[in-house]
Amino acid sequence: MKAEIIRVLRRPPFGQALTLSKVVLAAYVLLALAAPAIAPQNPYDPLQIYGWEASSPPGTVGSGGFIYLLGTDGLGRDIVSSILYGLRISLFVSITSATVAALIGLTAGVSAAYFGKWVDVAIMRLVDLQLSLPTILIALIAIVTLGPGIDRIILALIIAQWATYARVVRGIALSETGKSYMDAAKLMRLPTSRIIFRHLLPNSIASAVTLIPIEIGHAVALEATLSFLGLGVPMDKPSLGSTVANGFQYLLTGQYWISLFPGLALFGLIASINLVGEDVRRRLDPRSRSI
Amino acid sequence: MALVTIAMGRLSQTFLLLLVMSLIGFIGVHSVGNPVFNIVNIETATAEDIRRATIALGLDQPVWRQYLLFIGNVVTGNFGTSYIYHLPAFGLVMSKLPATLELACIAMLVAAPSGIALGLLAGRRNRTFLDRTILKASVFALSVPSFWLSMMLILFGAILTGWFPSGGRGSTASMLGQEWSFLTWNGLWHLILPALALAIPNIALIARLARSGTIEVEQLDFTRFCRAKGLSPHRILFRHTLPNISVPIVTIIGLQFGGMLAFAVVVESIFAWPGVGKLLIDSIQLLDRPVVMATLTFISVAFVALNALVDLFYAVLDPRVRLSA
Repeated sequence: MKAEIIRVLRRPPFGQALTLSKVVLAAYVLLALAAPAIAPQNPYDPLQIYGWEASSPPGTVGSGGFIYLLGTDGLGRDIVSSILYGLRISLFVSITSATVAALIGLTAGVSAAYFGKWVDVAIMRLVDLQLSLPTILIALIAIVTLGPGIDRIILALIIAQWATYARVVRGIALSETGKSYMDAAKLMRLPTSRIIFRHLLPNSIASAVTLIPIEIGHAVALEATLSFLGLGVPMDKPSLGSTVANGFQYLLTGQYWISLFPGLALFGLIASINLVGEDVRRRLDPRSRSI
Repeated sequence: MALVTIAMGRLSQTFLLLLVMSLIGFIGVHSVGNPVFNIVNIETATAEDIRRATIALGLDQPVWRQYLLFIGNVVTGNFGTSYIYHLPAFGLVMSKLPATLELACIAMLVAAPSGIALGLLAGRRNRTFLDRTILKASVFALSVPSFWLSMMLILFGAILTGWFPSGGRGSTASMLGQEWSFLTWNGLWHLILPALALAIPNIALIARLARSGTIEVEQLDFTRFCRAKGLSPHRILFRHTLPNISVPIVTIIGLQFGGMLAFAVVVESIFAWPGVGKLLIDSIQLLDRPVVMATLTFISVAFVALNALVDLFYAVLDPRVRLSA
């Protein structure tokens, strides 16, 4: 039995692409953590930025004593450093929002299943409506209502993403409520909150938790899109998305490096999260294997 | 007839929900902070400016009266006058609609056939090199953020090669009282890059769906029977497999068409395509609230209606589906 499990776990469903994506993802996380130590420049510090070196092509030797490997942007910020610092913001925003959205969605889904009746109808109709609209539209509506700022964008992403978890966990919790351990808990007159959080929730969350990595990937893309549209993180602390956006006006005049390289970094991040996320889900949740 | 009743019932439930959500949103906006500060510049406005703006915007009224006024205006399509263009906001949105519609239609005309073809091909050659390549490509195509995909299409399709224009709508010709780009060569030329940007993720999505459907159907008894009967693989694929996988594909095409209306926000603002999406982003940046409200309401309602339509179509296409209100 144990050997069988190990064999299944070791079999890579996506072959080299998956192994590669794990390495790439690990590298991204390490780079983001180590950014202040390894970045040649602090892009938030105006004293380290030389305005006259704006839009230098890759390979230019800068006044700071290092080579701009990927060039500089329109304000003279080193692209390598911008990518490293932007990575931190992108990952922070997406991991925070996906985790909080999971907590809210799980609680809502389990409550809907446990209380039934009008609580269920109210929560699930809202979930149905949210899931029938594109996430980008919900995030747009939320951010327009809330206004700009890092805390607001995290809130907007939570609003856009909680429904997915609620839908998944509610179906499982519904089948759990009929089991005898739930009857036992109710007969023992345990407080409702204890029944929900100590008995029902732990037995229903497996499927929903496996969604978190995939949802982090979606959050990275959503945050980048909102930031690109100028509705996301503030311009003085750019995420990967706003770094790409900064380069857009220069793209038309041929200074491709300002948006090409941060965009490649973003694409690699989303692709590796998606590949690893789908793999995590496939391994931990047998129900998703048919898809 | 029962079908229509059910559809109407569901539609009215959804609109009731939209009403409740707008109420929550309304109260939310008012509890986060005074909305007048979204309009006036906090740093330069005097107390007198703020007081006048509050009265002009009707923000001095009680919240419930403001909400009733707002709902009344939404129902009659009256979102107020644009602060920038000095035109009725809803009329402005409608005037931009043809550009967005033609972009989404062209993109879907590209995405649906190519996605289905790739999916059938991959499903037929399940577990071969070709199948794995298509599957991997689809993962990457779904991972590319649409704004970056658009920028790279501009970089490689317009700036480096000069094959296509980098933005704008080109020349238009008039039909049914509206201006359309696809009627002129120049306009069609301008359509290609933005349509591709919208189509590529959808090709991947439709291909994946068609692939898994094909694999599933090809294992069923009737396909085996067809093969035993000596039908050509071609005939089995197009006369038996394709109709049997059509239901989920039609559904996703309907839903993604709505999704394109939302993603047009990104693609249009990059390609300077003068549609609803570009109008939305421009209005957000110019703080043109009536137009922002009109655009977001229009896209949401259009999407809900489209969803109901897809549900209905689903039931017509597959008699096994039973709708419940």
